[in-house]
Amino acid sequence: MSSFVTALEKAALREYPVLEGKIKTVVAALDTFKAFLFECKAVGFSLCADVMGVDYLEYTEFMPERFAVIYNLLNAKNGERILVKVYVPDAVKIPTVTDIWRTAEYHEREVYDLLGIEFEDHPDMRKILTPEDLDGHPLRKDFPLGETPTLFREGRFLDPSAFRAGLSGKDTGLSGWRGGSRIDSSLIPKLPTAIPVSKEK
Amino acid sequence: MAKVKEKPVAMPKLETRAEVIIPQERSELTGGSGLLHTEIMRLNVGPQHPSTHGVLRVVVDMEGEYVKRVEPHIGYLHTGFEKTMENRTYAQNFTFAPRMDYLHGFGYELAYALPVEQLVGAEVPDRAREIRVLLVELNRISSHLVFLGTGLLDLGALTPFFYTFVEREAILDIFEAVGGQRLHQGYFRVGGVAKDTPDGFEGMVKKFLDTFDAKVDEYEKLFKTNPIFLERTQNTGIMSEAVALDLGITGPNLRASGVPLDHRKTTPYSGYEQYDFDIPLGTHGDSFDRFVVRVQEMRESAKICRQALSRLKPGAIQDPNRKISLPPREELETSMEAVIHHFKLVTEGYHPPKGEAYVPTESARGELGCYIVSDGGSMPYRIHFRAPSFVNLQALPVIGIGGLFADLITVIASLDPVMGDVDR
Repeated sequence: MSSFVTALEKAALREYPVLEGKIKTVVAALDTFKAFLFECKAVGFSLCADVMGVDYLEYTEFMPERFAVIYNLLNAKNGERILVKVYVPDAVKIPTVTDIWRTAEYHEREVYDLLGIEFEDHPDMRKILTPEDLDGHPLRKDFPLGETPTLFREGRFLDPSAFRAGLSGKDTGLSGWRGGSRIDSSLIPKLPTAIPVSKEK
Repeated sequence: MAKVKEKPVAMPKLETRAEVIIPQERSELTGGSGLLHTEIMRLNVGPQHPSTHGVLRVVVDMEGEYVKRVEPHIGYLHTGFEKTMENRTYAQNFTFAPRMDYLHGFGYELAYALPVEQLVGAEVPDRAREIRVLLVELNRISSHLVFLGTGLLDLGALTPFFYTFVEREAILDIFEAVGGQRLHQGYFRVGGVAKDTPDGFEGMVKKFLDTFDAKVDEYEKLFKTNPIFLERTQNTGIMSEAVALDLGITGPNLRASGVPLDHRKTTPYSGYEQYDFDIPLGTHGDSFDRFVVRVQEMRESAKICRQALSRLKPGAIQDPNRKISLPPREELETSMEAVIHHFKLVTEGYHPPKGEAYVPTESARGELGCYIVSDGGSMPYRIHFRAPSFVNLQALPVIGIGGLFADLITVIASLDPVMGDVDR
């Protein structure tokens, strides 16, 4: 672990804590992230568990770029894990990591297929999950869901996407009060145990 | 006799054949002799074939009897679960989670529940955690039983299928009693499970576990010393440790190559650190090891089930926080507060704070994790499943080549892909 921290410092990358640091997440710059990933592998992260993409187009907070690609690395010896996050602008190709871990081949194809982020020098940059003739990238936030409005009498209708917009993070709801969220459970008064119902009859 | 000798010379058709026009390379697979002078045959396997375990299409380039190149085509079962789940509330999404890997549904439910619990800060009571562990491990057994039955069926052994499905039926009966459904249970909730186990649940599980170890011995007898099985699985589809790590293989497939990586041990979740079990390991990483590791894993899972059963004490099964869990039904008739909570939870749901969470779990097929990005709304902003079968299938073009075509079928069977898990 200590050797890894020095590798982090050497790469001059800042740490980005997420959720009380349950999994260490590092934000890397677009031009240096591949060198950093290579260093991660040398330090012992021998297994690339996942490559996933996020489209931050409709996110409620300001994000540096529209997309983010997250590399999920795992040390197969002790189960240590690190997430490396790279912010990617729209319509920008990013270098592939298939030459570091061969497993990234399918993952990068999936990110390309569903989010439209292209990877440079990928050996086989094709769609993988959606049909050949499907146009667009379904997991982008601007990809339409293709629903039809529910019709009522006198021309009234219910638009499903408008209905659901009230549930997203952008909308504060009728009362503006987000009742369900809690971070520190000790601050919330304990209510009596709800369940179980006694089985004796 | 002379006429017969002249005949091939007189045939003009020969010149149009590809092998005459295009000079063939000497094949390494046939020992470089050039005696087996054949065209490369492109064979299409699937998508509808019993030995492809669903709808997997594999395009195989054959050189004589040998496999030269394998190219899997996936996506026939792509259902867009991730997009669907991004447009449903957190509680509604429990319907979708078990439908991805239909053989290990509880594993998916747990993998979905854990990051959401991390985001909202829910506390799962002990009883709920033990019920979850018990059901996930029973489901792991049932998944491995399907693997064993259908895997041996692919190799031409019909009988084990009937043996393993007897035990699987018993497990599915338990699931039916608990959650009401045999396959897609949707029984877990954020902060616990939907309802308490039915009367007689412990007895059902105990009855099953009492006889199970003897049954595993019986399965082993069916195949482990069978010379045909040994001939077809030993030294076929060998995956070395380095290749497996490079390909991102996890789960029993990686452990068959000798890497002791099990997230239940390395990064315990849902109370797995309190259970005593071993990690079965293989040595060669061939198809035989992958079969044997899974059979041994069934014994270990049964061990965990027994411990979970002995730990099962009466108690709460859901987080008592009314902002996350639904109030009990009978309270709705007397308490206005309960009605309000019920209404808010059903219509709007809870709102995890902004953040991101990923909890790796060990499914029957490998590392299964759900990455959730929350934007403060009651629907996940982005949800991504790290599906183990999707990654494990990448091994097929690497370890499936070089052998006979029949070995490729063995390799597909021993990798145990579930196409619902691959395509999501």
